[in-house]
Amino acid sequence: MSTQTETETEDIGDRGVIERVRASPFLSQLLSNRLALAGLTIIFFMVAIGLYARLFIDLQSVTQTQIGTNPNVAPPSWWGQKEGQIVTDYGTWAYPFGTDIQSRDIFTRVLYGAWLAIKFGTITVGASTILGVGLGILAAYYGDITDNVIMRTMDVLLSFPSLLLALALVAIFGTGLWKVVIALTLVYTPRFARVVRGAALKVLEDEYIEATEALGAKDPRVIVRHILPNCLAPITVQSTLNFGLAIIDIAALSFLGFGSEAGTPEWGLMLANGVEQGLLTGDWWWSFFPGLFLAITVLGFNLLGDGMRDALDPRMRETVD
Amino acid sequence: MISKRFVVKRLLLLIPVLFGVATFVFAILHLSPGDPARVIAGQRASEEFIQQIRVELGLNDPIWVQYGRFLMDAVQLDFGQSYQIRRNTPVKQVLRYKLPVTLEMAIYGQLFGILLGIPAGLLGAIKQDALSDHLTRIGALTGISVPIYWSGPLVILLFAQVLGWFPASGRIASEFDIQPITGMITFDTLVRGNFAAFESAAMHLLLPSLVIGIYSMALISRMMRSSMLEVIRQDYMRTARAKGQGSKITIMKHGFRNALIPVVTVIGIQFGTLLGGAVLTETVFGIAGIGTLLVQAIQVGDYPIVQGTVLTFAFLFTLVNLLVDVTYSYLDPRIEQ
Amino acid sequence: MDLRERGRLVGRALALGGALAALTVVALVVSGETLRFASEKVFAVAALVFGFSLLGWSGSVFAGEGIEHFQQHIGGRADWSEADSRRAIVVLGSVGLGGMVGASLATVALGSVA
Repeated sequence: MSTQTETETEDIGDRGVIERVRASPFLSQLLSNRLALAGLTIIFFMVAIGLYARLFIDLQSVTQTQIGTNPNVAPPSWWGQKEGQIVTDYGTWAYPFGTDIQSRDIFTRVLYGAWLAIKFGTITVGASTILGVGLGILAAYYGDITDNVIMRTMDVLLSFPSLLLALALVAIFGTGLWKVVIALTLVYTPRFARVVRGAALKVLEDEYIEATEALGAKDPRVIVRHILPNCLAPITVQSTLNFGLAIIDIAALSFLGFGSEAGTPEWGLMLANGVEQGLLTGDWWWSFFPGLFLAITVLGFNLLGDGMRDALDPRMRETVD
Repeated sequence: MISKRFVVKRLLLLIPVLFGVATFVFAILHLSPGDPARVIAGQRASEEFIQQIRVELGLNDPIWVQYGRFLMDAVQLDFGQSYQIRRNTPVKQVLRYKLPVTLEMAIYGQLFGILLGIPAGLLGAIKQDALSDHLTRIGALTGISVPIYWSGPLVILLFAQVLGWFPASGRIASEFDIQPITGMITFDTLVRGNFAAFESAAMHLLLPSLVIGIYSMALISRMMRSSMLEVIRQDYMRTARAKGQGSKITIMKHGFRNALIPVVTVIGIQFGTLLGGAVLTETVFGIAGIGTLLVQAIQVGDYPIVQGTVLTFAFLFTLVNLLVDVTYSYLDPRIEQ
Repeated sequence: MDLRERGRLVGRALALGGALAALTVVALVVSGETLRFASEKVFAVAALVFGFSLLGWSGSVFAGEGIEHFQQHIGGRADWSEADSRRAIVVLGSVGLGGMVGASLATVALGSVA
């Protein structure tokens, strides 16, 4: 008897597989979307830069002051020179993004920043995805009061302005990049919980879960075999869109002085230095390049996420963008 | 018509909201690791001195007593005195001086966002050929991808440094000495009839409010576009068009009103993002409003200021949502009043 | 839901919050923290829950529409009923309030023992 149950469940499980196969138009849709492809290319490029920086750039060398090797606060070497600058490599590609007040090469710092952005972005989004998926599925699966308590809490969190909530949490946890990651994880979790709960409810409404339950499959199995695979697509879209947001917000908190330690080649902090010390003197390169890389990376994630949302739900293409 | 009862009912809801935020802030400050007494006394103070301050501030009382006292004070809008930033000045006074600065910038920013976002969204919805569709889409996506702390420096560099059209930071040129009335400088200068000062203030305000505005414009235009598209597709609009009722413009007008409903509600929620943006914008443009105040207060551990600022932010946010709610019920007569 | 049922629900939530908080205070003190620290942190956490529920309650009545549209915008389904949501908030708030009382009582009790 138990073997028969086994095959029965197997059959029902196959419908889950079919569902997944049906998701392949999603891929072809996505690949035919030029904007999404552009986004994917940007992300790929940035990850490559990040990995390169992690492997080949010595963090020490981009953190420390480098007096003597380069001119103090110099514009990009191909651009021109500053008055009073001790010209060394003017007219070459020695420091294509210029140098900052501590004579550090902004180019290598920006490259290393890509690694930090990708790394901390991934951790933040990963953690909030896991938390959100857990809470969302719990809410959908148990329903009733569990559902309501979880989701109302999520709603309240969601109604707080995200940057202000993150600031409040940083006030509790203290400053530092890791604390910022924790704070933002909590800020983003509700979004995932919402999306996952919605998707899980849709799956649960389908009869086959009921059928599986009637056949005696235990809770965790139902969740792992049926609910989770069917929620993957919306989770992926949400993660991608949130990745951009995470990178912006991490850098924002660093910009405000709550994130990375002084000297870290993190984009937000570099922008902060550029604004504080370079803006009024017109040293544009100082804030321009870190911000440019930041914006391009975020745009990449937004383009991809947007295209994914389209591919996922063709109806949305026309109504929501 | 919007009934008075509806508005009063909504106003009464401010009480639990602020009570909730106050409790929330109280909890946060008691969970945070710093010791206020040590912050006030300074790192090198003697243990006795710190104890003395603890007694003075009532930090040695049981926490429920502190909570009760905190609530009683909050009801009277008394958040105590600043520990650090403006030593021994009542928080109320600091806020009264800084709030109008942020408020003014936020109002102009929101106006920019609405005035630019709604037409942009409408255009995207009505002109639906591939090119303009693509352009609005890329535009909106770029808008939300560019953080304020980058677009801010860029406009400063371009318009203030290179072109020299606008001042880079501050609120008004130093030669003007305007006695504050409301604290909102464009208003005060106008009331005082000092037009040269008004011009200077407006020039100072334009860049920061534009930077905030562009950010909220991205969201508003996206919402407007999708909402308008949805309305256009609805059956009654199709029928109206098929029957040839009225000109295209009348139909659009009718649709516009309906499409505006979800947009208006989002403006309320988005105002929170705008306040968050104000924190960043003030930092970039060197404007001393409550945004920079909050950041400073968290950095140095000036808890009374943190409490006061967060409550002020919450109050503003709720108030705007209240306004939105009233507008909403005006736009959508189906809402029970 | 009739009044008695609602009362029971609130009572249970209050008791749960109180018990949880009191136990945590005791556990913290036993693990070597000072009574002041334990009392302050547990009370603050309970207050956080309480403050949260207050916001949720006023929010579910008040910013409901805006949040709903916003959530639709970010891609969720908003399908909650007012009554259920308020019940959940009441439970949450009662747990928080119970926790605040529980932490206080535990502090007083431990203080008189010590």
